[in-house]
Amino acid sequence: MTVGMSAAADILGVDGADHLDLDRSGGAVLQARGLCREYGTVIAVDGIDLSMAEGEFLTIFGPNGAGKSTLLGMLAGAMRPTAGSVSVRGQALSSSDTDWRHRIGMLSHKGFLYGRLTVEENLRFYGKLFGLTDLDERIPARLEQVGLTRRIRFEARQLSHGMRQRLSLARALLHDPDVVLLDEPYTGLDPSAASVLRNVLDELKDGRRTVVMVTHNLREGLEMATRVAVQVAGRFAWEGDNTGLGRQDFERHYHDVVEGLP
Amino acid sequence: MSTYLTQVWAIVWKDLLLEIRSRERIAAMGAFAVLAGVLFNFSIDTTTTRPENVAAGLIWMTLVFGGLLGVGRTFHLEAQDGAFQGVLMSPAPKDAVFLAKTTANFALLYAVSLLVLGVFSLFFGLDLGQNLGWVVFVLGLGSLGFVALGTLFAAVSVGTSMGETLLPVLVFPLLVPMVIYGVGTTTRLIDGRPFNEVEGNVRMLGAFALAALAAGAVLFRFVVED
Repeated sequence: MTVGMSAAADILGVDGADHLDLDRSGGAVLQARGLCREYGTVIAVDGIDLSMAEGEFLTIFGPNGAGKSTLLGMLAGAMRPTAGSVSVRGQALSSSDTDWRHRIGMLSHKGFLYGRLTVEENLRFYGKLFGLTDLDERIPARLEQVGLTRRIRFEARQLSHGMRQRLSLARALLHDPDVVLLDEPYTGLDPSAASVLRNVLDELKDGRRTVVMVTHNLREGLEMATRVAVQVAGRFAWEGDNTGLGRQDFERHYHDVVEGLP
Repeated sequence: MSTYLTQVWAIVWKDLLLEIRSRERIAAMGAFAVLAGVLFNFSIDTTTTRPENVAAGLIWMTLVFGGLLGVGRTFHLEAQDGAFQGVLMSPAPKDAVFLAKTTANFALLYAVSLLVLGVFSLFFGLDLGQNLGWVVFVLGLGSLGFVALGTLFAAVSVGTSMGETLLPVLVFPLLVPMVIYGVGTTTRLIDGRPFNEVEGNVRMLGAFALAALAAGAVLFRFVVED
């Protein structure tokens, strides 16, 4: 750990470590070992270890280009790691066996939505891909959860950005995944839409889901998290349990960590 | 219905529904087919050339070029909002995704191929008589082989900087057997020859379509996975 990071951990009074492997692998729902991803000569993710138990909510902060989205992409099985491995409930994310895909839901920068399909058609389509048979009950429940019940017949392209984001969240949660991955879910949302999203994310903290969220929004990120990490240059430069981290203190020390690294 | 078939059908339904709503590809292919028929009609001197002798070749060329217009855009609607990545992150097997995309493309191209046949029959005064059913069948086989290859290579080309312009370069060399057997068969059928005379050619077209489907189903995974 660098001096900057040690200082941050001391001042914040949390258990910081320079990688996220706090020996929680016993009941790990989501586990990554030595995760690396290179694009030519650029190393986007550089040997990240991660072990998360049921009910944990990890927020990852970090500057642009730190490799956060790439990390989420690998955790979601959307990108193949250059080295290392990911497993969900002990099952390795391999391309031959797709059972693990039922356990992961991802909200990305992109909504994965078809603009010319209605809200209901989008969810029905993804529901069928996931082999869900109770869509007549499940879709209204999810739409109510994200506050889109009245827009069920609207085409996705007719929705505002905030509504599309909520529809994307409904899509990501439709199959009731154990692991939820959220890539900057607050981007471009007005306060009202952010509030709706916050309520839905609060519901995810039901003790049986494991959530990893990447965000630049310190307030929202800290409020949700049970664990916090700062990713810089492809590595977890600092991490710790969130035992009441104050936003201003964390913000100050976040900058110490980010600027203290080469 | 098994989960696999449900997944295939979900993608086919979605693709066709999007096409019905946008009419993006079918309009381009249909317009191309009609315009090609009109232009070819004026490009042939019927006092020196029997239309029956050249119609089959022109029909197949129209089908290939028109088909590329549609098949080349297979993944463009998918690219909006990253929707195709959402499909790839679902548990649907990649070969199911390929078969579904190919089936949807086949439905579009087959409809266009029937339009092409109608347009050329009209302009060239073709009398298909009792061979009409066989010509329709042969065009179906050719369309199937074409869309199987076209869908696979559309997935390849969409990920490159050249995009759709790369597609003909990749696909045309592989379509040579299909064009040879397709044109040969169709020419004889238009000429009123009996089906047993072209049975071998039809088998080759069928084998080509099956081989293209099988190759696509196996290779698609390597094309679309990161």
